[in-house]
Amino acid sequence: MPEISYREAVRDAMVQAMRSDPDVFIMGEDIAEMGGSMGVTQGMLQEFGSERVRNTPISEMAIVGSGIGAAIQGMRPIVEIMYQDFTTLAMEQIVNQAAKHRYMSGGQLKVPLTIRTQGGAGWSPGAQHAQQLEAWFVHVPGLKVVFPSIPIDARDLLWSSIYDDNPVLFFEHRLLYPVKGEVPEEPKSLEFGKARVHREGDDVTVVATGRLVHESLKAATELEAEGISVEVWDPRTLLPLDEESLIASVKKTSRCVVAHEAVTRMGWGAEIAAVVQEEAFDYLDAPIQRVGSKFAPLPFAPVMEQYVVPHKEDVTAAVRRTLERS
Amino acid sequence: MSTEVTLPRLGQGMESGTIVRWLKAEGDTVAQDEPLYELDTEKVTQEVESPVAGVLLRILAGEGEEIEVGRAICVIGEAGEEVTVEAPPVSPVPADADPALAESAEVPAPAPAQEPERDEGREAAAAKADAEPASSTAADEGGRLKASPLARRMARERDIDLRRVVGTGPDSRIVAEDVERAAAAPAWEAKPVPVTAGSEVLPLTSVRRTIARRLSEAWQAPHFAISMTADMTRAIELRERLLELTPEGAPRPTYSDILTKVSAVALLRHPGMNAHYEGDQVRLFSTANVGLAVAIPNGLVVPVIRHCEAQSIPEIAGARADIVARTRENRLTPDDLEGGTFTISNLGMFEVERFFAVLNPPQVGILATGAIQEQVVAIDGEVAVRSRMEMTLSCDHRAVDGATASDFLRTLKQFLEDPGLAL
Amino acid sequence: MAPVAQNQALTREQLVGFLQEMLLIRRFEEKVEERFRAGDLAGFLHVAIGQEAIAIGVCRALEADDVIASTHRAHAHALAIGTTPNALMAELYGKVEGCSRGYGGSMHLYDLEHGLMGANAVVGGGLPAITGAALSFKLRAEPRVAVAFFGDGATNIGTFHESMNLAQLWKVPAVFVCENNGYAESTPAWQQLPIDDMSKRALAYGMHTIVVDGQDVEEVHGAALEARRYAVEGNGPVYLVANTYRLTGHYVGDPQVYRPREEIREARQTQDPLEKLRATLDVSDGDWEEMERAAVQVVEGSVEFAKNGTDPRPEDAMKNIYA
Repeated sequence: MPEISYREAVRDAMVQAMRSDPDVFIMGEDIAEMGGSMGVTQGMLQEFGSERVRNTPISEMAIVGSGIGAAIQGMRPIVEIMYQDFTTLAMEQIVNQAAKHRYMSGGQLKVPLTIRTQGGAGWSPGAQHAQQLEAWFVHVPGLKVVFPSIPIDARDLLWSSIYDDNPVLFFEHRLLYPVKGEVPEEPKSLEFGKARVHREGDDVTVVATGRLVHESLKAATELEAEGISVEVWDPRTLLPLDEESLIASVKKTSRCVVAHEAVTRMGWGAEIAAVVQEEAFDYLDAPIQRVGSKFAPLPFAPVMEQYVVPHKEDVTAAVRRTLERS
Repeated sequence: MSTEVTLPRLGQGMESGTIVRWLKAEGDTVAQDEPLYELDTEKVTQEVESPVAGVLLRILAGEGEEIEVGRAICVIGEAGEEVTVEAPPVSPVPADADPALAESAEVPAPAPAQEPERDEGREAAAAKADAEPASSTAADEGGRLKASPLARRMARERDIDLRRVVGTGPDSRIVAEDVERAAAAPAWEAKPVPVTAGSEVLPLTSVRRTIARRLSEAWQAPHFAISMTADMTRAIELRERLLELTPEGAPRPTYSDILTKVSAVALLRHPGMNAHYEGDQVRLFSTANVGLAVAIPNGLVVPVIRHCEAQSIPEIAGARADIVARTRENRLTPDDLEGGTFTISNLGMFEVERFFAVLNPPQVGILATGAIQEQVVAIDGEVAVRSRMEMTLSCDHRAVDGATASDFLRTLKQFLEDPGLAL
Repeated sequence: MAPVAQNQALTREQLVGFLQEMLLIRRFEEKVEERFRAGDLAGFLHVAIGQEAIAIGVCRALEADDVIASTHRAHAHALAIGTTPNALMAELYGKVEGCSRGYGGSMHLYDLEHGLMGANAVVGGGLPAITGAALSFKLRAEPRVAVAFFGDGATNIGTFHESMNLAQLWKVPAVFVCENNGYAESTPAWQQLPIDDMSKRALAYGMHTIVVDGQDVEEVHGAALEARRYAVEGNGPVYLVANTYRLTGHYVGDPQVYRPREEIREARQTQDPLEKLRATLDVSDGDWEEMERAAVQVVEGSVEFAKNGTDPRPEDAMKNIYA
């Protein structure tokens, strides 16, 4: 099985879809000659030409909105919003339009639009180029939200997003692009709302997304040496959520930590905590712990940035808190 | 217009109290600020005055009943005034009450439902301290048994009484593992002792309960203790001289008073001992408020004498005599019990030679003194008989180390052996 | 700015047909006002009285596969594109038989079968999708156009500019119809537009622009035909400004404190597109009565149909969220 990077995996899903389906095309800022600000679409202009690999003006509303129009007409556009931070500019189109057309029409139409975007701190871009805003979208009925953490999931979930008949927000993590993993050549359609257990464990369920999956795996290895058995549970799609598997895992371990890079306050982890206590209250042996960024905008200075975002150590500490004895 | 009198909060941290005795009966006239009832809080028993003048129309809280702060306890108004009470008495009708009277209550609404969990917690708080005096009891702080949801479910399913389970989670929360351990333990531990076994059950008073909880907490501090013996010859001379100077009827200075005074001076010279341990910091005090452990029936309290370094021994004797008397008469106020920076426990009058005292957190030190005894000692190669007293200083090792403790204790010893040095 | 193409092909019969359709819209809107005031209708309603000629003029120039996107003032566009009065009225009554199955309401009319891609309650919200729909026609080489209706107020919002810019950049077959009625809700043009000539809005994008009297259905129709031809032939989008006047308030119940009664009265006498066309065609009183009767009958029938419609089940609210 070939080993490719997360970046290549994302590209592979788009390339394979475009090879087999003329209705798939991509739009976004700097995605053609430049190959995208993160190099994800490199080489695609050469293969598919400028009609299907469309450089756009800096117009997030029009990028998403025209994607919506083309999707309603039956195409399967993939639009790229260069940074998650800029989805805020297209918020109206995503939240009021893409998410609601099908509903407001009483089911007459579909909006098979994929909105790819990326973010993630750790390289000092400051406050407007690395936020993790996935929680904003999980709050909106009508959207689906995907956040892969490893190459094979990036490829197969993007493939599945393109062929989903709903608007999908596809979040990529900036620091995961070089991460490599085995990805079979043939794309596989994955059902949304099916989690991946990266590592099985008995003592604590760590619910993690994106980069924090990797931090949690490192924490799990470290804790294993102390005899603490950590299960690392990755939802892969934040909306829909694999509640069944989540609850099963927590019922098994009786303890739960939620870890994401987004700020903790009102974050996606808060929803996980709510779901767990609703569905597995009588199985909890410790308060649910949350790991996330501190409640601050992302600072520029590397030392401050590292202070704000969560790391392996935060996961380790949270796991310990669930096992604490007085 | 009648006034509903509620249970006041009489000190920081007071959440509830028990009315020991009503000092007025229904129908009695009461003046404003006249003692109305005797209240047992977790700290002290005290008389509480009426906030208003009038006729005590209705008592809503029975004697012996634990009442939350803010709950209505009685209604005071004008004679003959009709009383409509929104919250009827929760307490069961006292045995000697006229059942007909209870039935004729104007508002026969059912008692407000108390959360069974809270009841369970309160019972547990009492039962647990009874069953396992040595174990940590923080899990039942505030009358609520702390147990994880999983532990509760397991206990329910396995028919285990959580009150008999020792919690090892944070704040002594009972976690699943604890229930499993309890389940595996011999049955006697998990099952209440049958009442027929010739035992007697004494429910804990709230003072006793507080002592149990405080000491369990205190026990979590890493203790160490050091001892020294002081030659009391000059202290005895000093006391005799003080007695000579004491006017008729004035409180007579005791060795405790001398000890209190010289300890205060020694504490200011070694401020590391005159301190509170506060988790992530240590607070040093510039004045010595010395607490004295005073025995009361079925318990002990530690009233505080303030600014001992600035008081003369006769002044200290006066203050001591006052608080001890008020302690015995149950007239201590919450203020009397707060603000201590160091504690002295003297069991000399009980002929104890030496003992080790448990800390009184957040204070970092407590001094335990035994009886003054004549002992044969070697002085400069000669055998001599001297009056000596053993002192044992217990310290919180998180805040204090052996050297600091030794320095303090040596100073104290010097002061007792040569009181002039304490000037 | 190109001159308006003369459309010699329109016969008197066709124009009488337009008049009949405009009259239907007028009577329909009046009925909506009446039923709203009577308490039959829920929600937030905006009628297009005075702007009927634009809806009919543009939509009669379109082909069956073309699509439109409408605004919060959507009833006229829906009726003009082919949504039946019954389906529209049923939607306003919140019935399953409504064009949006009761999920949309007045401001969210959808009728994909007839080319209505959605009416939009967010000002300017539907414009980007029209650019996108037109892009899909271009990518698939389909001879279709996508038409966005919007008001002068929408030319102040970002989606207007981003959509116009992108459409022109990619030369997609779209027509942007600005119904310039002089008011953004209550705010008159002078308070919200820094220019008098709305055609200048497209200058920065180099977009082909046509300006017409929106109260003259013949002129609107001719311009729309030209715009459609221009766009579908691959020349790029067209910006069509139709100057018009809203003869009623912004919404049903609007006290219109922001404009003088005299202005409204005068406009009703001089700017009513129905009266203009009736005069041009010199319709006899007898014929007019006949047309009236036909329109009223359809409208009354739609109310009857709507009232007898099926209420959705409350739990149907959880359907159609995802495909």
